[in-house]
Amino acid sequence: MKERRILVCIKPVPDPEHYDKIGIDPASKTLVRSGIPAVINPNDKNAIEAALEIREYWGGIVELVSMAPPDAEEKLREGLAMGADKAYLLSDRSFAGSDTLATARVLAAGIAKIGSFDLVITGSESADGGTTNVSPQLGEMLGLPHVCNVESITPQNEEQWQLNVKIEEGYLKVEGPTPMVVGVNDKINTPRYTTVMGIMEAEDKEVVIWSAADLEIDNDKVGLTGSPTQPGDLHEPKLQRAGKLLEGEPEVVVDKLIRLLRQAGVLNA
Amino acid sequence: MLPPEVFVVTEQVQGQLTPVSFELLGAAKKLAEEMGGASISCVLLGADIRDLGEDLASHGADKVYLAEDQRLALYQNEYYALFLTKFFKKQQPEVVLWGATAISGELAATVAARLETGLSAHCSDLHLNEEGLLVQVVPAFGGKVLGDILCPSRRPQMATVKTGIFSSLSKGEGAGEIIYEDTSILDGCSPLLKTLKVTKEKDRDTSLKEAAVVVGGGWGVGSGENWTLLERLSSLLGGAVGCTRPALDEGWTNGEHTMIGTSGITIKPKVYIGIGISGAIHHLVGIKDAEMIISINKDAKAPILSFSDYGVVADFKKVLPGLIEKIEELS
Amino acid sequence: MSIIQFDKKQEMLRRTVREFVEKEIVPIATEIDEQDTFPEELFQKMGQMGYNGIFVPREYGGAGMGYTERAILLEEISRHSAGLAMAVMTHHLGVAAILDFGTEEQKKKYLPDLCAGKKIGGLAVTEPSGGSDLMGHQSTGEKIGEDWVLNGRKCFITNSHVADVSVVTVRTGEDAKGRPALSGFIIEKGNEGFAPGHKENKFGLRGSIMGDLNINDCHVSGEALLGQEGKAAKIALSTIGGVGRPGMAAISVGILRACLEESVKFAKERVIYGKPLAKVPAIQSIIAKNRIDYEAGMLLTYQAIGIKDTGERSDTQSAIAKHYTTEAAVLAAKRTIDLMGGYGCVNEYPAGRYLRDAMTTIPSGGTTQIMELVIAGASLA
Repeated sequence: MKERRILVCIKPVPDPEHYDKIGIDPASKTLVRSGIPAVINPNDKNAIEAALEIREYWGGIVELVSMAPPDAEEKLREGLAMGADKAYLLSDRSFAGSDTLATARVLAAGIAKIGSFDLVITGSESADGGTTNVSPQLGEMLGLPHVCNVESITPQNEEQWQLNVKIEEGYLKVEGPTPMVVGVNDKINTPRYTTVMGIMEAEDKEVVIWSAADLEIDNDKVGLTGSPTQPGDLHEPKLQRAGKLLEGEPEVVVDKLIRLLRQAGVLNA
Repeated sequence: MLPPEVFVVTEQVQGQLTPVSFELLGAAKKLAEEMGGASISCVLLGADIRDLGEDLASHGADKVYLAEDQRLALYQNEYYALFLTKFFKKQQPEVVLWGATAISGELAATVAARLETGLSAHCSDLHLNEEGLLVQVVPAFGGKVLGDILCPSRRPQMATVKTGIFSSLSKGEGAGEIIYEDTSILDGCSPLLKTLKVTKEKDRDTSLKEAAVVVGGGWGVGSGENWTLLERLSSLLGGAVGCTRPALDEGWTNGEHTMIGTSGITIKPKVYIGIGISGAIHHLVGIKDAEMIISINKDAKAPILSFSDYGVVADFKKVLPGLIEKIEELS
Repeated sequence: MSIIQFDKKQEMLRRTVREFVEKEIVPIATEIDEQDTFPEELFQKMGQMGYNGIFVPREYGGAGMGYTERAILLEEISRHSAGLAMAVMTHHLGVAAILDFGTEEQKKKYLPDLCAGKKIGGLAVTEPSGGSDLMGHQSTGEKIGEDWVLNGRKCFITNSHVADVSVVTVRTGEDAKGRPALSGFIIEKGNEGFAPGHKENKFGLRGSIMGDLNINDCHVSGEALLGQEGKAAKIALSTIGGVGRPGMAAISVGILRACLEESVKFAKERVIYGKPLAKVPAIQSIIAKNRIDYEAGMLLTYQAIGIKDTGERSDTQSAIAKHYTTEAAVLAAKRTIDLMGGYGCVNEYPAGRYLRDAMTTIPSGGTTQIMELVIAGASLA
């Protein structure tokens, strides 16, 4: 059986458990996110898990790729502690401010340098920006077939894979050859816990760090200047309401509720 | 200056137009008016889609471009992207709107990469700024923050829009023009990835999105048995029941399609009644457009109370039975 | 620079244990306390995670970390279930005794399964005559040929009814000065003449089973002898003093953190007289005291364990840490209940459990008065 080489793209994001604490500084109009720890984008952990399961079944190696600031090495180590074999961190000041298209270009340049592989797996969606663009755009940059929202991956034979794709109406059954780029959803698996042995082993695994100079990349097409989309103002959605409390014994509250439902025109009786 | 045409990519699955397709026409109408009366064009890919084209033409589209081809019957990313890339290179539109669905979201990202243009995702609002640029308002961090996204230099300006944000236009006269597009560009392509089939899940109960009253339940509901109280109340009011992620995870609900919030659906009923919901941002963004929010929570500290118009601090098990009884008496 | 500096590996351990605890233990923490049941399946899972042999070298099936990492583990478990942490901590005592005093054969025979979660360990020293008074041992071991026959009763033994492998001390003779000489034995569950007896109904640290072990004409082979004949007082003292007491301190740090975090949460959310409880000066005083006790307890505990990890003796520092943290946890839990008012006394809130658990940490591994004896002895020496 042919051993597989699987690349997994991951991204550090502020922990979604703490999004309630994120806000906008009224004076500077910039994002306030201090004290919120970074985690591996939760959906990307599904991607790592999917890769590890394929490795366990078919044999092979799993390597992580991330475009992020230098301190992301720690998050890559977490992925290595989960069980990945090696990691590549693409890190350069000039990458800052990249939108999804520019990010896909950087990842594609890193993957091109890594060499041949059977599969690139990504999460479908990032928790912070909420976009689903990078996975298909990476496929385009690599000139490979790509599919996202994948809920199961079944190898048919050495080169042919079948994928179950979740759509709003149900599922699409998609089939195609490797290499390809697959974006998995958060239902495909439950990411494993990191064991203490995994943490010990991760210490000795390699994290390769590449800057823009190490990659074949057009500097005008990455970072904020190379991004077609540009961020504008930030707002906080207006969510606060009057919060008037309906007080009294249950019977009194029921009467008040009945009045409100009538007032809203949803109770005609 | 914007040329007077807003483009919408509509979608069909197994010969049925998806709800967001009509809502996109609503969004396009809003932008067209801001532009001072632009026309609305839409494009649809598929096989045997004449009827669908006419449906779109009667729902506010001035022009309906149809790519009708047996090879396009099912969504095939490579065929679809190939056609649309060429189509938009020819049309040179300023603005293209897509559904933020699994299929259109992927397709939009593919086409954006090929056109090397920008794409914002899951927009919750769209408008033009003073320079006539499309301001694409996207939720970030689960909806806690909204950010404006602009695409100043590349064209088209492209955005995906979530289902339930804009209202569909009402059905009018079938005034729109139907234009058939040449699909011979597909001849030169043999897709590597093939969509073999669509498996539809049992017909989804879509009543939640349209219901005037939505009763939402959270983890505080406590059990599947208690959940039936929510269902009783909603059925008496002709409404529907939605849920939060924790309630879904507990297995009390009717399934994932009833989950309201960031990773679920967005609703805008006349009245939303939240039961046993703490009020995490991920849920709040899905109910923020409700006309009236009433919440019942036994915890006086629950954040949901300050995001509600009216709050009841009580055990819902002591309130709902009485309310249900009263409504039954009245009707 | 702070004295206690966790490295990246230790921080990752804390994060990953926290994730495990939040998903696997938090949902059942109340149930563990209410029903006083030991979750065996969870224990197996924790073995697979590497928790059960966290400080055991890889060659014996452990995770290859040290005692500082063990303390991080116990603190994180105890934050949500001090009872379960107690069961793990006691399992570690049996493991440590075999690791530190066992022959190569004994280590190879027992440690891999104990680390992997396939077997549960325990340490049985305390007798009806007392725990810290080793010289008062009544249980006996008699050598017959190459074998031994053991008799006696052990009490207040954690993991008594669940341990598969117990390290048991008995009196096997007298030394030159006429004092009782103790010997340690590794006894497996099911060995004839060795069985759990009365099970205690404790009010705290529930979920860790505690009870008697009855030893009646229990025959074991010479291979079961742990360490040298007559030298087991050292096994007991070193394991309890060097592994048990710092373990109890780490559990108490977990309770202290629980008190701090829950009191902060409650004070911020609870509105009284139209403003959050946190605005009330008297409440702020409670929060400050809970914070001080947590920080001080943490520093003492990790300091003591850090010394042990360097290979130095840490008995005195461990006794100080245990003394301080267990007593402080009781006060912090009481203050947390005060802060919560009526809610503090309701079992739907965990503060009452913190108080019960904190009280129960005091006698485990030696009472506060015994700690004072150790600390004073070392200071006056």
